Amino acid sequence: MSNQNILEINQISKNYERKIALSSLSFIVEKGELIALIGPSGAGKTTLLNLLATILQPDSGEVIVDGKPITQYADQKKRAKKIGIIRQQFDLVGQLAVIHNVLAGRLADWGFFKSLFSLFIPQEKQVAMKALERVGLPDKAYERTSNLSGGEQQRVALARLLMQKPEIILADEPVASLDPARADDILDMLTKIAKEEHQTVIASLHSVEYARKYFTRLIALKNGELFFDLPAEHVTDEQLQDLYQLKELK
Amino acid sequence: MKKRKFTFLTFSFYAFLLLIAASWYFVIGVKNASFLELFSKENVAYASKFFKGLFGVGQEEIAFLNRDSWSYAFTLTIETLQMSIMAIGFSTIVMFLTVIPAARNVADGTLTLSRKWYRWVVFGLIRISYIFSRAIPELVWAMIIIFIFKPGILPGAIALALHNFGILGKLCAEVIEDTDSRPIRNLASAGAGRAQILMYGVLPTVLPQFLTYILYRWEVIMRTTIVVGFVGAGGLGQEFKLSMSFFHYTEITLLLICYLILVIIADFISEKSRFFVK
Repeated sequence: MSNQNILEINQISKNYERKIALSSLSFIVEKGELIALIGPSGAGKTTLLNLLATILQPDSGEVIVDGKPITQYADQKKRAKKIGIIRQQFDLVGQLAVIHNVLAGRLADWGFFKSLFSLFIPQEKQVAMKALERVGLPDKAYERTSNLSGGEQQRVALARLLMQKPEIILADEPVASLDPARADDILDMLTKIAKEEHQTVIASLHSVEYARKYFTRLIALKNGELFFDLPAEHVTDEQLQDLYQLKELK
Repeated sequence: MKKRKFTFLTFSFYAFLLLIAASWYFVIGVKNASFLELFSKENVAYASKFFKGLFGVGQEEIAFLNRDSWSYAFTLTIETLQMSIMAIGFSTIVMFLTVIPAARNVADGTLTLSRKWYRWVVFGLIRISYIFSRAIPELVWAMIIIFIFKPGILPGAIALALHNFGILGKLCAEVIEDTDSRPIRNLASAGAGRAQILMYGVLPTVLPQFLTYILYRWEVIMRTTIVVGFVGAGGLGQEFKLSMSFFHYTEITLLLICYLILVIIADFISEKSRFFVK
């Protein structure tokens, strides 16, 4: 039984034109782990997340999700049950009311008519309101999403993930455009929800402090290669300094 | 780089001056045109006769003071309104049926995240039909349609719809091309299918823009009914042509007043609904 290993990454490589984005990267993720991907800009964090989200295909190597190769999750409805994504804003439909953005997490289970009908009379409203309550926005359900602040929009995205209930949450710079207080708030909520729902989180982060504070395991990438892969408390300041060091000019 | 730009600017400036001088020389020197000739005695007489006619000076029957002609003009106004609504209705329906595959980002699959080879074929066909439809002016469409149907407001509406369908299609396809694909990609990763992406991602973002364009074209169609009316497509335009041919100047005044009222109404409606959408 490989059920403990929710995600296996085997020797994946990805090149853009001549630039190497990822070179034979491998690691294994166990169910319920909170993983932070850190590393300097251009290290391949976003590429890795996009590969896991099947937005990109690897040039070589394979990704195994819950015992099956990721290519077997071609049906986006099945994939949505396994993998959910949250990004740094811009991932909500601004013109829709908040509740519809939250209910969008249920689209994988809804048919055509139910989704259409829901735009006029919101379906499964109770569940959506509960999700909004958990992220602290119960009174904003009928506001236009684009009128919400950046932090509130991220909470709506979290509420949508609560509706979607994926086993793995991929977070691509979830707090990059937020101020420190809001960032703390969102990460706290994200990790708390993941623990409560027994979900696995893989988040790319710019800030090492947040990575150490909220996540259990840090995976550092540099120039498309694994730099270190350690439990959060074992990472030393020296290693971090090495990771973010600029190339010395020769 | 900066210096080259400067020289091009100076060049175009001198070319501009030269063009103005040369064209005036051609108008005055070669063609012997005289500005004062515009105001020759005959021209002034014609103009004053026409304008006096418009205001009904020295005429026995003044249409815009006559109750019967007002009620007749009113029915024509309603007809024109019907024609314009039918025209915008037809073109909007056909536009909605074709606009989604006509967007470049749908054809290459970046918006819906599904790539199919035939999308480009459909895209090309629809875009060609758009170009074809808007390349031919309303007047020509009306002349062709009148040739087939008997004169009336329906052929007028079809002619207007044919021309405006291409314009609306192009404008709205561009709106779809400009939509942010990030929310839509995220809907797809939340498990939304093609139809669901359309309902939750594409339509809410593009509909307000669509409505603005549709209302604007409606306004334009209202004004263009006069042009298609000239070739017998009914409504105020046809009556305008007849009055003009019979030298019934006061009727022309009446019809122009009706047009004015129509355009003001259309203006008011589109203004209000645009406000409502925002």
